Amino acid sequence: MSIIYVCRKCKKSYSKTEYAQSKSCMSCGSFLLPTFNKKAPCLSNSPVEIQGVERAHKEEENVLFRVAEGLRERIERSKDYEIVSEKEHDTQKPPSVFESWIWRSEYDEALKFEKQMLKQYRDKTLEETFPGKVISNEQGECYEISSSCCSNFKNIVYEECRQILISDLKVLSGIGPVSEQLLKKQGYKTVEDLKCHSRLGKQAQNYIKLIDTKEVVSTQKWLWQRFPKSHPMLHYLAGFCQDHFAIIDIETLGLSERPIILLGVAKPTRDHICINQFLLRDIPDEPSAIWALIAQIDPKLSLITYNGKSFDVPYIKQRLAYYGIDAYVGNPNFDVLHFTRRALKPKLADCRLETVEKYLGIKRDINIPGALVPHFYDTYLRTKNVGPLVPIVEHNKQDLLTLGTLFSKLYEEWQ
Amino acid sequence: MIEEFIKRIKQSRSYKKQIVHIEKLPAHSVNFGELEKPLPESLQKVLLNRKIQLYSHQAQAINEARRGKNIVITTPTASGKTLSFNIPVLEALANHEKATALYIYPTKALSNDQLKVLKELEKESGIKADANIYDGDTPQHQRANIRENSRIILTNPYGLHQYLPWHYKWRVFLQNLRFIVIDEAHVYRGVFGSNVAMVIRRLLRICNRYHANPQIILSSATIANPEEHAKRLTGKNFTVISEDGSPRGKKAFVFWNPPLTNSTNNNNLRRSTHQETKDLLTYSVLQNLQTLCFTTSRQMAELITRWTKEELTKRSKPIDVVTAYRAGYLPQERRDIENRLKNKKLIGVVSTNALELGIDIGSLDSVIISGYPGTVISTWQQAGRAGRSNSESLVTLVAYQNPLDQYFMKHPIDFFGRPHEQAIIDLHNQYITLGHIMCAASELPINDEQDKQFFPELLSESIQALEQKKLVKKTPRGWVYSGTARTTEVVSLENIPGKTVTVLCNEKLLETLPLNKAYEEAHAGAVLLHQGETYLCESLDIDKLIAKVKQKNVDYYTETLKDVDVTISKIYKENDIGTKIGLGELSITEIYHTYLTKTHDEILKKTPLELPPLTFSTVGLWFIIPNKVKEEIESQGLDFYGGLHAVEHGMIAMSPIFAMCDRWDIGGLSTPLHPNTGEPTIFIYDGFEGGIGISETLHSKMKLLWEKTLELIENCECKEGCPSCIYSPKCGNENEPLDKKAASNILKELLKLCTTSE
Repeated sequence: MSIIYVCRKCKKSYSKTEYAQSKSCMSCGSFLLPTFNKKAPCLSNSPVEIQGVERAHKEEENVLFRVAEGLRERIERSKDYEIVSEKEHDTQKPPSVFESWIWRSEYDEALKFEKQMLKQYRDKTLEETFPGKVISNEQGECYEISSSCCSNFKNIVYEECRQILISDLKVLSGIGPVSEQLLKKQGYKTVEDLKCHSRLGKQAQNYIKLIDTKEVVSTQKWLWQRFPKSHPMLHYLAGFCQDHFAIIDIETLGLSERPIILLGVAKPTRDHICINQFLLRDIPDEPSAIWALIAQIDPKLSLITYNGKSFDVPYIKQRLAYYGIDAYVGNPNFDVLHFTRRALKPKLADCRLETVEKYLGIKRDINIPGALVPHFYDTYLRTKNVGPLVPIVEHNKQDLLTLGTLFSKLYEEWQ
Repeated sequence: MIEEFIKRIKQSRSYKKQIVHIEKLPAHSVNFGELEKPLPESLQKVLLNRKIQLYSHQAQAINEARRGKNIVITTPTASGKTLSFNIPVLEALANHEKATALYIYPTKALSNDQLKVLKELEKESGIKADANIYDGDTPQHQRANIRENSRIILTNPYGLHQYLPWHYKWRVFLQNLRFIVIDEAHVYRGVFGSNVAMVIRRLLRICNRYHANPQIILSSATIANPEEHAKRLTGKNFTVISEDGSPRGKKAFVFWNPPLTNSTNNNNLRRSTHQETKDLLTYSVLQNLQTLCFTTSRQMAELITRWTKEELTKRSKPIDVVTAYRAGYLPQERRDIENRLKNKKLIGVVSTNALELGIDIGSLDSVIISGYPGTVISTWQQAGRAGRSNSESLVTLVAYQNPLDQYFMKHPIDFFGRPHEQAIIDLHNQYITLGHIMCAASELPINDEQDKQFFPELLSESIQALEQKKLVKKTPRGWVYSGTARTTEVVSLENIPGKTVTVLCNEKLLETLPLNKAYEEAHAGAVLLHQGETYLCESLDIDKLIAKVKQKNVDYYTETLKDVDVTISKIYKENDIGTKIGLGELSITEIYHTYLTKTHDEILKKTPLELPPLTFSTVGLWFIIPNKVKEEIESQGLDFYGGLHAVEHGMIAMSPIFAMCDRWDIGGLSTPLHPNTGEPTIFIYDGFEGGIGISETLHSKMKLLWEKTLELIENCECKEGCPSCIYSPKCGNENEPLDKKAASNILKELLKLCTTSE
């Protein structure tokens, strides 16, 4: 007994394959009705079993589990990034329409690499893999990895910074390029010279006072009023801080609303750079790891971040609020992404840190695209094999170092 | 004026006794109320300036709100509901300089409209609240400022769903939150309503974290169960305010049945509803009666506008006094129409139900309802648009040919005695609850004990399922979300947000529409109507989701025909309760195979369409009607298929009682022979991608559902079926064929089989 499809109007019949192609009668366009090709033989009480259809297994009989499974599937499908095939796109011009994306080849390579890591670290413990220790603080426990490197971190000195900050008269409101020219002709070379100016004097005095107190946050706010956030003046402002910096970078399970899994902080000194990374052995470690990072960033330190104004810092704040931990991150922040965009965007295809590194001639030994960090960590959680953590920790550390280098190198770009 | 108008219609040459009933709704005299204590001077000044004396329901609402009660106001359209909640809110904001209020509207259009109202109140009273909208349209750079400085924020449930995980940014606003106002609360029913109820609970849970305990004010159209609905929507207790104190002029409610045509071959055929509507609207405009005409589809809104303009042109009358209004128009276009309607520059507007909700367009002389909108709630909402306080108004319901509309034409009294529907919200739905508990876990860690107050149902079971799928993790601080995607992206409040097609005309954006609508209105060859203009669609790119159209004047329009296919893709359960019943994953395929080219309801040509089928997967139940039942029914000389179809409709009508859903949330299919089962089969399925839990419930109560359906059909006094039993307001086959007797016999046979098998 097989099923055929009969036209409602002209009674012409079609096979199942024909039906699948056209779904309607080829001569009159009417709907087709399913029917048997001979009179239905089974008139008994028990109808035929439904055949050719998969049956659910035991667990799926529980609705909640089925729904949870459906959610899990949707979560797996919904990625924060788009995988872009090089074949379909000009590699010089990345598809800026996607918020976050990686090349297909990078993706495939990373997955291969993950397998390799899993094999290589099959029997290794966390302590063997990452020299460090479990630390404990009032929010719980987490794992701290410490290291240090030679540093090529350079910052300008305060005197130079001060000179630059007072040489541009446009820092004062009401002064554009034309009036600046005019004032300079009149002999006002710096803002300092304007202190006694009848109209601008008061403003100039306030500005100089700010600069002399080395108040980063207030000066930053002042400059933001006058210049775009990417303006070199805002970078030169770093001269206020000598070497009181904390470079920070976090790795997370997504672009928002999910746990932070690794928080890294690097502090440059004269010739060294000390790195502390706080890793979650598992999700419950998160509050402690965040707390450990915050303990590292004394309010006197200025942060150096890459997109930290819109990503890292708000993310940390969101997680603190999530756990109801009362802490405040109000440090000045030098977001290098803004400066990089201004200086390097014309020269680079995009401003991802990986791309910038190529420009700076920095080579990474181990690397995975940042977008794949959640995937790698998820593999670690599932397998408890520390292999996939290796590239994450390395990636984070390298980001911190690159960020320090980039911060220093950008000074050259302004000249 | 109205009586004169009706008289003139009846005297006109073209009148063919279409008026089958006139219900005269009496005028309603004003009833003022007293406040228990005087308002602050700033607000008294506003009332004085506007020469407003508070109606009894307004005074009652304000009194109760000032006592700290949660209130739900259900007085009719245009009774001044808005003022009755704006006053206590503004008073609180005036008394406490940090106090804030959150207003939730179902649509962006409504927020925009109400923002104007609030701004005016702020200006007149001098109370500074800096009211602002915060939704998907709010530019990024303004957001922080609004969160930090606005004391009244207007948003919608979709936005709220997205913003909740960011509560820390809203800390100051939330800490000071005094009021949550939920306007048009009747919209939140069925599956959508159950989702919104969960969003509100998530909001209240976060408020609790910030030690805020806001008072809630609801306003709603008339529904059967306002108190219960308010409680289910928010989890709080409410005082109902329903006694309307506002004055109403007399209203005539006319039932208009298109006349039978004189065609010889089909003596039951009536003249087209759309043509009748067009004539009525034209006549109203000529008589300078400001009229709002509601249609059941976007296309008809456009067509009736176009035809009316043609009629006016024939009579050399200006045509810019008529326009269409519907979803899909750009906000500026809509704003403009609303304003021109308010200042009487427009005499006739043809709208979809987009204007049913409370957008302030003033009151009109007349409303034409072209086709029964499906619920009593909607009919009265639409009718409420007509009527000023002191003058008479007119409402005309123009019937469709379908049995449901025709039933009301035959039994008009039945309509006026009909209770408003209940608004149903399901708090036990496992699909909905689980998703929102996952969202809640990404907002604050979940604590089994403390969070029971917000999620009294299914909390620990849901957590268990989520943990097993590794979506939450136990930590000392509670359950923490540990998935790798944003929860609010995975969980949506309505059907999975479908794809949206962009319509371009000469590379410029004309409008946007959902993919399934594009299949109907923007396929290659389709005539797309926009603001009464015709656009010929040149291409529809399914991958890029772009339709390209050219403006072209044509005197025809198009309509698509589709076929719906249901196949079983996975079986969850199969039982034999005398006959086979099953539950499983179904694949629903809609095949748009043909489009018709029509002019004034006449088919000019049929063209085959080549579009990939639209498929969605859902959960549904099915049961088999054994062939011997079929033979039995047929031997009685009854229409077996008509019976099946009627059983399907009857069961869908009864489903809300068991599954706490809206009948619009369910779909059905009955077929005398289904390829999977090889037997006559009825399917009932969730109208939601992935299922939403309705079918599970119904499947577990199949016998009871049959019993109730039989009771419904048997107890109904109608002869051949009516809207109370087997007529469905959303039937794809125009309620045909239906056989009431066959339906009740099929159900009796099925129940007999159940009894024997026990």
